[in-house]
Amino acid sequence: MNKTKKLTIIDDDETFIYLTQKTIEQTNLVKLIKIFGNGLDAIEFLTENKGKEDVLPEIILLDLSMPIMDGWQFLDAFTNLNPKIGKKITIYICSSSISPDDIEKAKTISAVTDYIIKPITKDKLIEMIARL
Amino acid sequence: MKDLADFKYVLDESTIVVITDPKGIITYANDNFCQISKYSREEIIGQDHCKLNSGHHDKVYIQNLWETIMAGKIWRGQMKNKAKDGSYYWIDMTIIPFFNDDGTPREYVAIRTDITRIKESEEALTQSLKEVSNYKFALDASSIVAIADRKGIIKYANDNFCKISKYRREELLGKDHRLIRSGYHPKTFIKNLWDTITAGRIWKGEMKNKAKDGTYYWVDTTIVPFLDEDGMPFQYLAIRSDITDRKKSEEELIKYSKALADKNTQLVDFCNIVSHNLRAPLVNISMLVDYIEQSEVLEDKVEALGKVKPVVNHLMEIFNELVESLQVKQDTTVKLDKVRPQASLDKVLIGFESQIGQYGAVITSDFNSAPFIYCPQKYLESIFTNLVSNALKYKSPNRNPQITIKTKDLGNAVLLSVKDNGLGINLNVHQKNLFKIRKTFHKHPDAKGFGLFMTKTQVEAIDGKIWAESIPDEGSTFFIEFKKPPR
Repeated sequence: MNKTKKLTIIDDDETFIYLTQKTIEQTNLVKLIKIFGNGLDAIEFLTENKGKEDVLPEIILLDLSMPIMDGWQFLDAFTNLNPKIGKKITIYICSSSISPDDIEKAKTISAVTDYIIKPITKDKLIEMIARL
Repeated sequence: MKDLADFKYVLDESTIVVITDPKGIITYANDNFCQISKYSREEIIGQDHCKLNSGHHDKVYIQNLWETIMAGKIWRGQMKNKAKDGSYYWIDMTIIPFFNDDGTPREYVAIRTDITRIKESEEALTQSLKEVSNYKFALDASSIVAIADRKGIIKYANDNFCKISKYRREELLGKDHRLIRSGYHPKTFIKNLWDTITAGRIWKGEMKNKAKDGTYYWVDTTIVPFLDEDGMPFQYLAIRSDITDRKKSEEELIKYSKALADKNTQLVDFCNIVSHNLRAPLVNISMLVDYIEQSEVLEDKVEALGKVKPVVNHLMEIFNELVESLQVKQDTTVKLDKVRPQASLDKVLIGFESQIGQYGAVITSDFNSAPFIYCPQKYLESIFTNLVSNALKYKSPNRNPQITIKTKDLGNAVLLSVKDNGLGINLNVHQKNLFKIRKTFHKHPDAKGFGLFMTKTQVEAIDGKIWAESIPDEGSTFFIEFKKPPR
């Protein structure tokens, strides 16, 4: 397994970040984990680094309920930015929301690969990252 | 003799002339007679005059004719006769009797003019009048009818109008139509009505009117202007029907459907709160427990265990907030206090004294336009606390906070506004989440996303409205509309 992957977590939930970080570190699958507490910080980072393949992540785990800019607003901004970004980024929504509205809405957004309902098991996390 | 012949010529040319013997047998008929009766001279000479009877006139009429001429007097009158082909014609007739020297009747000369056209018009007119009177009867029986002159003064009111308006007819006639105005309709509505009918067009609409006893009734109304020869309205006929029951049902239906929609929105909000806000910390606990179980390193287990407590506290906090908001929602019989906003604000500001001093904040208030608000006192204090706290919390780093709090009398409601010069909120992005639980819009360590949610919950519990205007980096104004209780 090559440890070249960069993963970004966009989530304001400290416990989730802590556990995901710990779990991923144990797998040795990911080279770099970046954390953003809200969508705005993340979209600013992506905008600044567009075209820089070695800085941009391959995979994003995106929470929905966040302050300042939530997951949906991030996806709007990301969809606009995507053509200029110069790299394929796989986005998983990782949310504790079990609302069918949210799940249906996620299906209509082409940038989203899948909707994962928290809690996320270690096996599921490894599968998501290894699939790339 | 020449003169006599001339007279006969003139008479024959201009009128219908028939001569009968004392028994009524026709002895002479001129061309005009043949033309109107459609008989040839040969066919009619020697025939009884009653051959021409139409059967229209009663015996008394005919008898009166005979008695008149037999008494030697001239008879004048109108008569309907039957032509050869069975059609009828009307004539204006003068019968002059001539007598022998012994006083017995010699002959009767009848001079006639054709008045069929006039009679037809008369009959049509009588028919029309009858129809009109039938229509009026039907209208009066079925509808509320009034006629007003060009200034709106009532000239006619039928029984139904008196009944629904509860005025006696004398009380209505001669009065301005505004007597029954309810004040419900906006000026533009009334103006549109007058503009329409004064322009000579028919106006249709639904109106709420006021009866003598102060009760209201709804009428479906059609106002028809009657135009003079210049096309200018000289009076207005109003035909109305009572739709009060339907309107009441409609109002009830709108009220219930609005209440239902509100309840449904609240239910959806509540589901979202449970799904998003309660589930998140539960998921955290579940993941922490899994991690502790699976981890083989003691240090990791201990570290993860230390993270359980804050999550549980967080869960408790959200849970308590939810319970608090539910209590407001379930408090369906909230008693409205007549509160002086100045008194509530002064009380609340005591708690912010140190912050106000520290930030150099200037708080001004003006409640002169509406010195009272109808709201439970604890709600108003909570509303002030949340809005003032937000205005101070999200102050601009570049200027001292200035907060202006005002009320404005809207007639049936009081509008409270709280304006600040703080960070502002980008409403293009955050509008839909502004009053949602656990939604925050600024990076502030004390931002929890509960204050505005709770404020909205309280405002809606008393049937009020809350909204905001904001420009990022200039400030925000929050508006709350408090209903006044019905008088």
